[in-house]
Amino acid sequence: MPVYEYRGQSINISENDSEYLGYFEAAREHRLVVKKCLDCGLLRGEPGPGCPWCTSLGWEWHEVSGKGTIYSYQIVAHTVVPAFRDWAPFPIVLVELDEQSGQPNPGDGLRLTANLLDGNMEPENEENVAIGRRVEVVYMDGEDGFTLPQFKLSNEPPRDQVWRYQT
Amino acid sequence: MAGKLSGKYCIVGIGETEYSRGSGRTTRAMGAEAIRNAMNDAGLKPEDVDGMMSYHGGDSTPSTAIQYDLGLRPNFYMDCSGGGSSTEALVGLAVGAIEGGMCDTVAIFRSMNGYSQIRIGGTGVRAASGITGPELFRRPYGLISAVQTFAFTFTRHMMEYGVTSEQLAHIKVAHSNHASNNPKALMKQRVTVEDVMNSRWIIRPCAHLLDCCLETDNATCIIVTSAERAKDLKQKPIFILGVQGRGTKPGGDFHYQHGPISRVAGHYVGPRVFDVAGVKHDDVDVTGCYDAFTYTTLLQFEDYGWCEKGEGKDYVTSGIINLGGKRPNNTSGGHLCEGYTHGMNMVIENVRQLRGTIDDYCPDWKEGKHTYDYSEGKCRQVKDAEISMNMGWGTPAVGSAMIMRR
Ligand SMILES: [Zn+2]
Repeated sequence: MPVYEYRGQSINISENDSEYLGYFEAAREHRLVVKKCLDCGLLRGEPGPGCPWCTSLGWEWHEVSGKGTIYSYQIVAHTVVPAFRDWAPFPIVLVELDEQSGQPNPGDGLRLTANLLDGNMEPENEENVAIGRRVEVVYMDGEDGFTLPQFKLSNEPPRDQVWRYQT
Repeated sequence: MAGKLSGKYCIVGIGETEYSRGSGRTTRAMGAEAIRNAMNDAGLKPEDVDGMMSYHGGDSTPSTAIQYDLGLRPNFYMDCSGGGSSTEALVGLAVGAIEGGMCDTVAIFRSMNGYSQIRIGGTGVRAASGITGPELFRRPYGLISAVQTFAFTFTRHMMEYGVTSEQLAHIKVAHSNHASNNPKALMKQRVTVEDVMNSRWIIRPCAHLLDCCLETDNATCIIVTSAERAKDLKQKPIFILGVQGRGTKPGGDFHYQHGPISRVAGHYVGPRVFDVAGVKHDDVDVTGCYDAFTYTTLLQFEDYGWCEKGEGKDYVTSGIINLGGKRPNNTSGGHLCEGYTHGMNMVIENVRQLRGTIDDYCPDWKEGKHTYDYSEGKCRQVKDAEISMNMGWGTPAVGSAMIMRR
């Protein structure tokens, strides 16, 4: 993949990037993928070369539903990246995907970082950002062919307690 | 050190440059001055220092340049990539290098223009660099600075344990009170909980501006040698009882794939360092708990076992961590007020505490004469401090600790 430009930042995914290239190639086709171990069958949220549970180096990309829950969040009131200033304050969320939640050990999960966006692909209103809220993947397509997976609130009711800090 | 080296090595020299926001010179020039100051403090000549170590994030000058500037000829040197929690780890490695016969006396330094050149907060050159590798999962979302990298851990902690911003602010208040008695501190002004709450938000709900450390231009140096070699040096040696260097959580950089994410590396590092040092929590008179942000201090107090998990909010508001309290923390003002040095100044401060020669506003501090009046512009010496502990923070997943005795 060539070098892309996104919000003033240069995104460089090299042809030999065995961790992230396939992830962003799938994103361009609007598919969300994680790596699946060919030996023990477990999925992993960080697309590293080895399986954290059995050390196997054999893996394949595995498509997931793109549905999940906000596991943690931060509202960026002050950004150090100039091209994000027009977005501030904006939310960054840690999303726990539905697949393999709490497996293989309690507390484990497939967790991805993203911005929480609204229907216009703009930052979601801060009052709507809360741990426990249900989300689903959306794709932000750049003009130069770079697609960034993002998340938005889904219509599903929360499965558990919902929490946000009252400032 | 498995206990067998406990007390056999010591810190014999400490040195710093001015804490500033605009050094007007290179990291090489500052590094040379800090090492020279530490050598003078210890009473060591260039031929006596035959080891050099440093850590950096592509923002410093190598040992092999500075060796020329001071006429040193190391039998061993190592400049490694590092950040917070490297200080204690390098002290441990220096002990190992000496014990293994690679050298006799090691000068550990950190030099950075963290405000005027390569800003530690991520603005400028770091934010302008291209995005590759694991950064592809973070920086396209505007997640780059340290306060952001650690924030998911603390937001979740606030939910699980009901911590408030006001409680966090007490850490800044305590450290600012300490800094008001430190002529070197970059920010000497005492602040209140209201001041912290009224400063602008950086990351909600984890940090207001005054919850964040101060980007600083500074160099620091710590000299380690054997207790045997220390006998005829200038300063009272401060003995290293135990070190744990850069212990980690499961998952390392990707620790948030595992739970609980509100747990930090101190959970693993703490029991080991107390065991190696052969001391208990109650033996410790003064702590240096890394304050990159107020929340890093709170998280570490809990996981190092100074209180139960979830009770850090009570520990930091109880007065224990204040000068005059049971176990003061970061008596120099730490990263929040003295200046950000990636942990070096917190070890240096504790060496001074244990020597009894804190450089405060007491007229005869050099002779170890102190008033123990902790009001503004006065004393910051902890009375009769015998044992100290440092808790270095790298990330939620990476931490080091060191226990020292006078
Ligand atoms: Zn496996």
